[in-house]
Amino acid sequence: MARRRRAAAPKGRDDDIRLMAALVTFGVTSMILMAVMLLAPVVKVGPSEGELAPDFSVQAYSGGEWGDFRLSNLFNKSWAPGGDGNWIVVQYIDTDCPYCWNEGELMSQLHSQWNQKVTFVTVVVELGIQGHDSSRGEVEAFRDKTPYEGCKTNSNCADRPGNPHSWVYIDDLNSRTSGDWELPGTPFAALLQPDGIVAWNPQQPGNHPDGEEMEGALQRLVGGS
Amino acid sequence: MALDIPLMVFIAGLAIASALALQARSKDGEDGTRTMIDSGLVFSVVGLMSSGWTYAIHNSLLDSGESSMCASEGLVQCGSVIGDPEWNNLFGIPWGITGLLSFSLLFFLFLSLRMDMHAKWAESFTTYSLLAGLAGLPFVVFLIFVELTQVEGAPHICPFCTVAHLSLIGFLAAAHALRGRKQSGMWA
Repeated sequence: MARRRRAAAPKGRDDDIRLMAALVTFGVTSMILMAVMLLAPVVKVGPSEGELAPDFSVQAYSGGEWGDFRLSNLFNKSWAPGGDGNWIVVQYIDTDCPYCWNEGELMSQLHSQWNQKVTFVTVVVELGIQGHDSSRGEVEAFRDKTPYEGCKTNSNCADRPGNPHSWVYIDDLNSRTSGDWELPGTPFAALLQPDGIVAWNPQQPGNHPDGEEMEGALQRLVGGS
Repeated sequence: MALDIPLMVFIAGLAIASALALQARSKDGEDGTRTMIDSGLVFSVVGLMSSGWTYAIHNSLLDSGESSMCASEGLVQCGSVIGDPEWNNLFGIPWGITGLLSFSLLFFLFLSLRMDMHAKWAESFTTYSLLAGLAGLPFVVFLIFVELTQVEGAPHICPFCTVAHLSLIGFLAAAHALRGRKQSGMWA
């Protein structure tokens, strides 16, 4: 009896070429990444000194009404050391935090001394602590130092130390920016160069003269006031 | 926005990939399957390159606040889309990097198929390709929504992002056609 021949199905290769395909893929992707690095090198973004400060686009209160605010709009990318341009203090507070309450006076003093050379920005967050509920009304009252019960948990905002603040206050009650800024707690304030590079972060005391606070950092880095 | 050279190259890549897909539909057997795989490969390469380009724009916007690689004004531009700090990343990872990694996976799947169409795993790889392409689709829809409604000064259309989106859609169509060929016995 004649044996019927089965139609020969095409067979795959004996060797598994997936490893080769993976290597080729890795090579192609690496080449594209290298080309990107040559075209536009990676910029390190973060709150550490020497890094570009994390940008944010949020609602801000500057007295009267709320409006759009973007931190990077303050940056002068063509700034060079020794050149003109406003430095930037980014301060994080919680309107219910007693330390932030007390720092209101220091910030008033710093602003009156440095406002010609430094732009102040206060970002208001709401820490996840019982009694630390905040609102835009409370933010406005804290900044303007107007009557409002609820600052520092149960104090009247009009009693806050220091003068009414004339700089911009940011609504970050939903903590959208604090992750990028690796916020250690409140109050926290960093000093940025006019080009947006972090020049001083209190979390890196090893980089500063012993015991240096914001006031000393302003004197040392901005100087001339 | 004027058509610049990189954008024209990417559009040409999309056109070539689409032409290959159309050609593959009219071919039977192994030849058609191979052409369809080639189409998906070209789509994934265009996706890789356009993702890399958007990442370069992202870096240059961070570095200097502007980019010579894409316009920053008008409806069709990149500055307000790739430069928007709130929407230009996925959990801190720039969308360009996400695109590069995703298209690398798609490229790997199709390259494996191209290198050995008759492998035992070929059928599962066609399924993985289709599933991987489908997984990217919600992100494309989300990003188009963001461009049109969420970014500063919306609506805006980022041309290089759109090239990446079209690459994914094209790849998905190729993966779908390949799976159809496999299941209907038209593979080879």
